[in-house]
Parts: sequence; C-alpha cells; structure tokens
Amino acid sequence: MTVRRATAEPRWVRLLLTGVALGFLFLFLVLPLIAVFWEAFAQGAQTYWEALKDSEARSAMLLTLTIAAVVLPFNIAFGVAAAWAIAKFEFRGKSLLTTLIDLPFAVSPVVAGLIFIILFGAQGFFGSWLAANDIKIIFALPGMVLATLFVTFPFVARELIPLMQAQGRDEEEAAISLGASGWQMFWRVTVPNIKWGLMYGVILANARAMGEFGAVSVVSGHIRGETNTLPLHVEILYNEYNQIGAFAAATVLAFLGLVTLVAKTVVEWRMRKETEMLTADLPPEKTELPPTVATERP
Amino acid sequence: MSIEIRNISKRFGNFVALDDLSLDIPTGELVALLGPSGCGKTTLLRIIAGMETPDAGSVLFGGQEATHVHARERQVGFVFQHYALFRHMSVFENVAFGLRVRPRKERPSEAEIRERVMGLLKLVQLDWLAQRYPSQLSGGQRQRIALARALAVEPKVLLLDEPFGALDTKVRKELRRWLRRLHDEMHISSVFVTHDQEEALEVADRVVVMNRGHIEQIGSPDEVYSSPASPFVYQFLGNVNVFHSRLHGSWAEVEREGEAPTAGSIAFVRPHDIELDVAPLAGGMTAGVRHVHRIGPLVRVELEHDGETIEVELTRERAASLELPVGKTVWIKPRQAKVFAAEATAPAGKQPFLF
Repeated sequence: MTVRRATAEPRWVRLLLTGVALGFLFLFLVLPLIAVFWEAFAQGAQTYWEALKDSEARSAMLLTLTIAAVVLPFNIAFGVAAAWAIAKFEFRGKSLLTTLIDLPFAVSPVVAGLIFIILFGAQGFFGSWLAANDIKIIFALPGMVLATLFVTFPFVARELIPLMQAQGRDEEEAAISLGASGWQMFWRVTVPNIKWGLMYGVILANARAMGEFGAVSVVSGHIRGETNTLPLHVEILYNEYNQIGAFAAATVLAFLGLVTLVAKTVVEWRMRKETEMLTADLPPEKTELPPTVATERP
Repeated sequence: MSIEIRNISKRFGNFVALDDLSLDIPTGELVALLGPSGCGKTTLLRIIAGMETPDAGSVLFGGQEATHVHARERQVGFVFQHYALFRHMSVFENVAFGLRVRPRKERPSEAEIRERVMGLLKLVQLDWLAQRYPSQLSGGQRQRIALARALAVEPKVLLLDEPFGALDTKVRKELRRWLRRLHDEMHISSVFVTHDQEEALEVADRVVVMNRGHIEQIGSPDEVYSSPASPFVYQFLGNVNVFHSRLHGSWAEVEREGEAPTAGSIAFVRPHDIELDVAPLAGGMTAGVRHVHRIGPLVRVELEHDGETIEVELTRERAASLELPVGKTVWIKPRQAKVFAAEATAPAGKQPFLF
C-alpha cells in the first residue's frame, strides 16, 4: 500500500495538470521545432546544405556571431559594474538606476531601434556631423551592435544583483582588512563568488543577441550580404517564398537555441549545487573543549 | 599596540551612531564594547578597523595618527559575526589569503606560507580540516578558522564583531574562554563587540558600556556590575527592580543611603539583594507571591506590591525552606540599593528592565 499524504491532490487532478502542461509544450514548442526541420529537409539533405552554403546565408551567420561577440564583453562589464553599485553601495538615485536597468524590457524593440535612427540617422541629431566625418552607424554594423546592446543589457545585471545582495559585503571587507588591493579583492573573492550567475546572465544575453529581430531590423537597412543577421535573413527568404532557404536558416537559429538551453541547464545545475554546498546541513559542533593553546615561546 | 579614539562622531542620515566619543585602549588589553543594538558599538569597531570613516574626530594607533589610513594598511585583524570566510577557498587557502595578496617582494615563499598556515591551524586546533571548505564546517569551527585567518597577517590589533553571536550557547561559552586564553598567549590588543553582558563580564579585562552613541561607563567587569555609574548600566547588566522612592516612603534603607533622595528619585535593587521571609522583617514591607519560577539553581519569585512587580531571587534551598505558595503574603527588605536622581534615569525609561 502506498502512503497517501493528506496534502496530495487526487490522482486525476495531477494527471490532468501534467497532461495539460505537457500537451501545451508539445503543441507550442516541440511541434514547431519538428515543423522547422521538416520543412528545411523537405527536398532532401542536399538542398538543405546548398541553402546553408549560400553566400548570403553564411554572411548572415557571420554577422550574427560578430554582433554577439562584440556585445557580450560590453554586457559583462556593464552588468558587473551596475550590479556591484546597486548591491554593495548606498547612494542617491539607486532605485532610479534599478528601474532604468529594466527599461529595455519595458520598451518595444522597434522603439529601441527608432531611438538610434533619431540619434544617428541621416536626419537625426548627429546625422549631419556623422555624414561630414564619414562615420556610418545606421544601416551598418555599429548601429546593429548598439541596438543589440540596448535590448540585451539588463540580462547580466538582473542576474547578478540578487546574487550579490545575498552575498553581502563581508567577504570583500575581510579581503581588504587582510591587505588585499581592490583589484585582488575583485579577482580573488568577488569573481569566483559570482561566476555562475555571470555565466547564466551571459547565456541569456547571448541568446537574445543572436535572436533579436525588431530593434536590429529597424537599424539594419536589410542590405543583403552586408547587414542581414540570421533572423533578418530568415524573414527575407520567407517573404520571397524561398521555403527551403528560410527554414534551413531557421534550423541554425533553432540549433543555437538548443545549445543555449543545454548550457543554461548545466549552469543552473552548477549554481544549485553550489548553493546546496553553501547551505548544507552543518555537522554538529564538537562539544569537547579545545585544550589550552600551547604556543612555544622563544 | 594601544588605540586612542578622540572625539569621534558618526551619523547615518539622521541617525547619530556615535556622538563625540573618546576612548583609550591600552596595549595588551582585551576590551569589550557592550551595549544594546543600535548603541554604536559596531560602528565604533568598524571605524577602528578603517571600514567606516568618522565624520569628525581621530583614531590613533600607538600614538600615530591613523584616521585616514586605509583599512588594508592598518594591520588589524577583523573577525566578523558571520565569519565571512571565502566560500570558494579551502580552509588552508582562507588562512593563506592575507599572505598571498602581499606585494611580491614582501610575500613569503610557498614553503613559509605552508608552515605559517599549518602553525595557525594547529593553534586553533583545526589543522586536520585544512583541505575542507567553509561550508563543511560547523559554526564554531568556522569562527576559529576566521580567527586564524585574521591572525595570519600578524595584526597589531584584533577586532571581533559579535564573534560568538551566531553560535549556540554551549559552543559560545567554550569559545569565549578559549579566546581569552588565546588573547593572553598572543600579546595583542583585542576589542570585541557584544550585546551579551555575561560574555563581556566573563571574558574582558575592561568593559565599555555604550548607549545611544555615548559611553556610559568604563571599568573592570566587577566595577561595572557592582558600582554602575548610571541607571542605564544598572539596568543593562543583570536584572533589577526599580522603585520610585516617593511612592515607597517606607523604604527607610533607601533614604538612609545619604544620596539625597528627592521626590522622584529612583532606587535600583538587584533581585538577589532582596531578603525575603515569611515572618515580619524590621523595616521591611509586605508583598504577595504571584509566580514562582524555578530556573536551574535559582528560584525567581515574582511578587506584587502596590500594583508593581518585584522580582526576588533565592537559592533553591532557601525557597524550599520557606514554602511559597502563590497568593501567600511575605515580607521583603533590600540588603542594598542604589539611588539615582530621577532626571538621570530619563533615557533609560521607567519600566523595570528585565531580560
């Protein structure tokens, strides 16, 4: 006989809830994923590879990776600095900064893109100056990097703030009182304590950077082979009824998504393990009195 | 090394943490900063450590101006209430940290570091835990490692912020006696912060009683307990009965102390300084027994007199010989009392301060 806990729901309720959740997942996540691969391979693997080897597809992939590679270091630097300021110091305007960090989540990505057009576009605030100095931001890589930076910058900071707040300042203060310089304290004490949280934030930011459509679409100009990222490339091919090409490129994005998912799971697992380690049940304190300290005197 | 604190003030927003406070800590002493939470004791300790900057005043180490010396150059060992061990480093690396972060030319060799760290771990009796991580240690072990880590840099001053506050009673008692012996062996000035009067009285050479950013009294544990300088100290160090002398004119003993009891002056009597009998006592007064609590070796009798509660502590034997059922009328008489003028007691409040 199995023991039935008083708080457990009846069997049919549990089955129903699990069923609904799994059914939803299948319908909205698994099925589309299968459909993407199905469509991409509709005319065989040969055509699929041809579509991926297309020069425009390859340049789109390269551009997506380039943008992510440029954006992530900025994200790390900004995220750590903002989280540090918010978690470890008291200052005026702290809650304002906390709110501002969330701004990119609240603003539609299209609006974010338009902001950069207004600032740096040909008719924008700095447009004439940029044109005079022959600097291209809009419809070029710098604009796309800026737009991606804007939509991804909350991820690292949001991940680190609660973590650093929970850890407090004690360990940093201990390091300083032991004679460590600010730099030594940061690399030897702070970084090891936040590394998994940082990794987690970076993974999320990276997924968003590679998948971003709206903001990048506004500033890109859709110049084939030059300013098309992978998501933009998918849209263009699809609008041209190039089903195979569009879905082949989409499989690359889906694949990147799956890699992100695996990495996220691994990092989450490491973080949980580390938290468990920190909050592990303590062995009972030994009650025997430590004998008198015996130091040898010269 | 001696520590001198000169007219230190510190505010946090509108809250005055320390108000023009001065204190001398001679070399080699173990000093306790004792007071309720919010009295400024931790702030004072952090100012000595260089982790806070005072708004005014100065700190001198061994006669040398140290107010603006950075925390990393003060050569103080700091022990935190919650240990603050580096969680991702082994016990060995925790203790070695202070040596490893030294500039290259001052840094000891790997062999010297090893020798020093193992020596300190032996000193705190935990050399067998060198390869463990802080999370694998008990609270008492963690605090001993934290102490070893602080001692590794050979500090001139050891500062401890509620070092035993997070430990359970039994471990706390053992560890504080052990700290006392360690202090005697190390020839170092130590300052520790506590809100536990028993801890301060048992361990320290001198007790500094603090309240609201001021020092109420400085003295040996015996001095602060037996001759408190202010009503606050009287109430903070142990249980006390508070009598308003105007209301209790019958307390001839109080009046005769010669401390000019004016109307409204207040007398303090410790519960163990009250004589209790079932037979009438000359100069005594009557009270009704309300509760009898048996607490280990003591019996605490709660009495009611004129609507006020009076506590008396008796030995077990005495209580047994008296037989004190609830509701019985008994005679009480203080053996000694201390009278303070009413205005002196204002900050401490007029409620009996029992804990």
